[in-house]
Amino acid sequence: MAEDSDALIALFAEVLQVQAAELTDDSSPESVRRWDSLGAMALVTAIEERFNVQLSTKQIMKMNTIGRARKALQAMNVRV
Amino acid sequence: MTTIEARSAWRDYLASLHGEPDGVPRIAIAASMTAEPLEPYLGAALLNRQGPSAITFGPFNQLHQICLQPREVLGDDRFDVIALLWRLEDLFPDLLSRSLVSPEAAADLQRQVIRFADAVASLRERFEGTLIVSTPPFPLWPGFGLLDAVQPSAGMAVFQQVLQAWGARLAQVGRVRQLDLHGLMLTTGVRAAHDVRKWQLYRQPYAEGFWLEIGQLLARIITAEKGGAKKCVVLDLDNTLWGGIIGEDGLEGIQLGQDFPGLAYQLFQRYLLCLKNRGVMLAVASRNNADDALEVFDRHDAMVLTRRDIAAFEIHWESKVESIQRVARRLNIGIDSMVFVDDNPKEIAEVAERLPDVTCVLVPEEVAFLPGVLAETGLFDIAEVTDEDRRRTEMITADSMRQQAEESMTEDDFRRSLDLKIRVFAAQRQHLARVTQLINKTNQFNLTTIRRTADQVAQLAADPDAIVLGMDIADRFGEYGLVGVAILRRHGPACVIDTLLMSCRVLGRGAEATFMAMIAEAARALDCVELRGRYVPTPKNGMVAQLYPRFGFALDARTGEWQMDLSRSLLVPDGVDASLDISHSALGVSSPARGA
Repeated sequence: MAEDSDALIALFAEVLQVQAAELTDDSSPESVRRWDSLGAMALVTAIEERFNVQLSTKQIMKMNTIGRARKALQAMNVRV
Repeated sequence: MTTIEARSAWRDYLASLHGEPDGVPRIAIAASMTAEPLEPYLGAALLNRQGPSAITFGPFNQLHQICLQPREVLGDDRFDVIALLWRLEDLFPDLLSRSLVSPEAAADLQRQVIRFADAVASLRERFEGTLIVSTPPFPLWPGFGLLDAVQPSAGMAVFQQVLQAWGARLAQVGRVRQLDLHGLMLTTGVRAAHDVRKWQLYRQPYAEGFWLEIGQLLARIITAEKGGAKKCVVLDLDNTLWGGIIGEDGLEGIQLGQDFPGLAYQLFQRYLLCLKNRGVMLAVASRNNADDALEVFDRHDAMVLTRRDIAAFEIHWESKVESIQRVARRLNIGIDSMVFVDDNPKEIAEVAERLPDVTCVLVPEEVAFLPGVLAETGLFDIAEVTDEDRRRTEMITADSMRQQAEESMTEDDFRRSLDLKIRVFAAQRQHLARVTQLINKTNQFNLTTIRRTADQVAQLAADPDAIVLGMDIADRFGEYGLVGVAILRRHGPACVIDTLLMSCRVLGRGAEATFMAMIAEAARALDCVELRGRYVPTPKNGMVAQLYPRFGFALDARTGEWQMDLSRSLLVPDGVDASLDISHSALGVSSPARGA
């Protein structure tokens, strides 16, 4: 995991109310209890506010791991 | 507060908890859409206004079931507040679409909306606490766009009919607080309020910023329910009610009128007049020559406020602290119920330091923001505006004219000159808000100090063995309004005075004696032969300890009650025009049709 990736992990940890150490880029709704549909909605809100982007519904639908969220953000030139 | 700040404040609060919080208001939100994003915004707004709360959400889109079986669906009946948020497009999507093309469907939509209001009415009966229900916001729904190239907009017509039908039915229910979601959406804009992605993905229609607004409005409604609204705004004059300095610029030179910057001051005055009309008293505290300043009120064409709108003037060269204290004494209100507005930061700082309970508001540097400076503070939010609130300033002004007359006459002459008209009547629905207000705030002239909710008062008013009396007083100076309440209950041959209270403003002018005489009259109409009453001492009601003996009641040592035989009449004092009307009570005693 790259050093400057902490911001994204930290954000997921805060929204999903778990320790950052418990999360990796492979974390997904299957492995994190609070990552249900309400959690996913809160993640979209937090990511958009934190990185000042607007995600498309396609990106949101595909964002089922932290790694995929990272890719989506990188594709929008966000350094995470 | 931004959305991020609010969420972080709420997260910090939740993290500080150890287990379920005790003794905090419990709030249930039920909505026709996914509403969970509201939690941190409502929670944070309440933290700011009144403190912690516990917020839970009912199951998605089960509003009808919640109305009919709140305990079963919410799983708990100990809620202090239930708030229902709903949208037409969630409850009636197909009907909404068809209503654009079919008048029958539009009529059916209205019927469905009224049926939902009926369900809310049944929840009102089942639930004791505060019930808040949203208005339906303008739908974001195909064909309802204001910019659809159809004139006139069919969607707007359908929507307005629905909104009106909903409001009319809900007004009949009574005691339901409205969260004006539609009004809030007008303020924000339909487009800005929505997030169409989240709506389609998660059934959650709104942008975060709009949830923040909903949370803040809902918090204001919940807080207003507890009372504590400010009662008086004390206003500076120069550069606050008008631009410029009257003593230097003169009547022609000050800025006030339809052109900027005079417009900002005029709009601010219009807002102040709105406050006055719902019961907030306006006062003036200005360092000026009184003649100069009053001339603006009397002669400037562009003034919105008149002298009669101002309950107290303090125009002189003494300190604002002194002025504010005098206003508080004159209007008989607490310092903590006052708001002070001034353009001078030094005055604000001095008042804030010496009278920390006064809420201070500095005129904004950007004068265009002045008209809105008080509007969104929530300082003056009240749950319900009564008739007495609307007429408060007139009553206060009449009071000070009475005082002047009283000082120039003997007591008897004064009383006879007043032309007192005292009307005692069975309280009806339109009186219940004021009756409840008096029951819960009267401390001094109050024999039993039994507090009651509006519901309980309504139940008594409908009870055939009880009667809720109101007393309304007017004299030649004006109206006092509804200032006395008595609750009588029939126990066989005895009529028990459960509650007897009066606003202290009307004492000593024959009101007590008249009220007593009318109570005895009402008890006779209940076919009772004796009147019984109790004095329950509190730290504040010493003034009525001897009330019953004063009117010839005898103490029954066995029960501790005061007793009077109704074969004896009590006299209405000389010069008082008194009447009793209990034809509208649940007893219907003086209705000629009864027993026919």
